[in-house]
Amino acid sequence: MAESINIELVTPSEMLFTDTADMVVVPGSEGVFGVLPRHAATLANLQRGEINVYNSGSITRRFFIDGGVADVLPERVIILAERAVDLDSVSIQQLEERAVNATESEASFIAAVKNAI
Amino acid sequence: MANLKDLKTRINSVKSTQKITSAMKMVAAAKLRRAQEVAEAGRPYSSRMQQVISGLAANANKSNAPELLVGREDVKTHLLIVVSADKGLCGGFNGSIARQTRQEINRLENEGKSVLVYMVGKKAADNLGREILNKTFERIENLQGSNVDYNKVKGVAEKILLGFADNQFDQVSIIYNQFVNAITQNVVVAPLIPANVVGEQENESLVVYDYEPEQNELLELLLPRNITTQIFSALLESSAAELAARMTAMDNATRNAGDMIDSLTLVYNRTRQANITKELIEIISGAEAL
Repeated sequence: MAESINIELVTPSEMLFTDTADMVVVPGSEGVFGVLPRHAATLANLQRGEINVYNSGSITRRFFIDGGVADVLPERVIILAERAVDLDSVSIQQLEERAVNATESEASFIAAVKNAI
Repeated sequence: MANLKDLKTRINSVKSTQKITSAMKMVAAAKLRRAQEVAEAGRPYSSRMQQVISGLAANANKSNAPELLVGREDVKTHLLIVVSADKGLCGGFNGSIARQTRQEINRLENEGKSVLVYMVGKKAADNLGREILNKTFERIENLQGSNVDYNKVKGVAEKILLGFADNQFDQVSIIYNQFVNAITQNVVVAPLIPANVVGEQENESLVVYDYEPEQNELLELLLPRNITTQIFSALLESSAAELAARMTAMDNATRNAGDMIDSLTLVYNRTRQANITKELIEIISGAEAL
């Protein structure tokens, strides 16, 4: 079995996801890029978009973030995102509840999440 | 000699105070657990953010780095963000914040800087009262406890960044109570602008990073976010610390009330006994006189 990479997805209020995987694809502000084990150390700004965690060739977890920063080292990735949603567990209904008294920027994020589901 | 009826009233009033304080202690203890969890869940983000910024700062070209990182050369005005509670009855919590703020203001003014304060929470502002009358940059309430909200904090941070860009102040630091454990809170003064980058350089600077976009551009993006994060985590810590302080204070109050009830009850019983004895003596001496 090939090596795997440690992934941490952290938001201000919680550690949303932490696990190892074969690859993770993140939405860099200068283009989407995949991170495999032994990736060169990179610090990248992220834009709004999907984070896909790959295991044995297929997507196993999907998240949606509203921009952030990825700190990549050969053995691990830390993704810091101000807002993040787990696309596998969130429901349209939950999103709509959140949208009720959301600020403008949050509302547009929620709309984007709905599209991604 | 104290009147029996007065003593009884007194005992009852202390008893009902005790009921209130013990209920408040219980409520604070229950809320504390939740607040502590929230504060601890928020720590990874702020510590990692700090780590990223420190790594970036260690490799940054100091000559054209953003002002948020290196600070301004000529510091005229200093903004203090003071985080206290909206409610009292939490022991020395607000008092120690006010004391530290006073010290900090004196220290800065002795250095020849003028001081502005951003009061978060009602109590420290009440406590400092007139001393900060002409120094208040802004006051905000209802941001503590279960009301700590990242989006609201972002609004606060944006206002501070605007004020900084507008040259209203050249340095910013934040004063808050850090939650250590249920009985200990530490008053912390942490710098926000220029950013606090001590400690992490050694292990981070060994790695040569690729930056996307350029380093300084990245710093410009991250430093404002870092300020929001630091204020947010300070608020979380302060909320947990407030509940811990209230719990301890109310526990002491409950115990003191208990002691007071004991000693009052003793006086009450003695008085009652004395009255009975007095009546007996009166009866006996009345009977003997016959």
